[in-house]
Amino acid sequence: MSLPREVITAPLPGIGATRAFDQPASVAVRGGAFVFVSGLTAFDPATGAAIRGTTSSETRQILENLELILEAAGSSLDRVLKVNVLLHSMLEAPNMNEIYARFFPEPPPARTVCGARLPDGVKVMIECTALASDDGR
Amino acid sequence: MTAARLPRSPIEPVNPVLNVSRSANLPHVPGIRVGDYIFLSGMGPIDPLTGERRHGPIAEQVRTTLNNVKHMLESTGSSLTRVVRVHVVLADIADIAEMDRVYREFFPVDPPARTAWSMQLRFGNGCEIECVALGAALA
Repeated sequence: MSLPREVITAPLPGIGATRAFDQPASVAVRGGAFVFVSGLTAFDPATGAAIRGTTSSETRQILENLELILEAAGSSLDRVLKVNVLLHSMLEAPNMNEIYARFFPEPPPARTVCGARLPDGVKVMIECTALASDDGR
Repeated sequence: MTAARLPRSPIEPVNPVLNVSRSANLPHVPGIRVGDYIFLSGMGPIDPLTGERRHGPIAEQVRTTLNNVKHMLESTGSSLTRVVRVHVVLADIADIAEMDRVYREFFPVDPPARTAWSMQLRFGNGCEIECVALGAALA
């Protein structure tokens, strides 16, 4: 027996941005029972163009895109197990939390938040591990 | 639902020089295999011949580190093509373009999900890389 490994391609062109912009990462990969989503920064899901705003607005855009990516992978926000949030400044954690709390139904996933140096003036980066779909796709 | 209890075993690199956690008496193993899932510890630019840290240009550090990751995966019958998630941590975020240049040599097709950022690293390492992979595909 060998676990399946599948690169997830999303229907919206911007979500294929990691490919379109020649990034050396897939936006998400399914491995066995899990879906691993790359560290997402805020981008326009239609065009893939980077969006730079506030911590709140970037958080909202990232989580909206994350929802689309998980759906493309046959998963969903309520199947997320673990989230890592990287912030350009931990002083912004309350701003991120305020938006974040609106996205995940109870009980929300396990989560780690830390301050880090992020590329290209990004304020927020979010990655997650989710359960793949039940149907074994 | 009755979940089968997955076996959990440490990964032993074929090249013992790369078992840095043992030689440096650190409280972790190089990696753990749980069923068909493989979790590797964060790895740095260790010279596979001497066990010394190689703190040269970042491109060289990334190449050395990824070669060590490759060795660790192959030691448990997996490979880079079975990696699903990577964390790349840099000491200096300005190195990200140079890291990418080398990184893509190792993952040319259908690369894993990845998160790359910068924070303080130990031992003066310029990069540290950890990953989650799957066991070998059926031949």
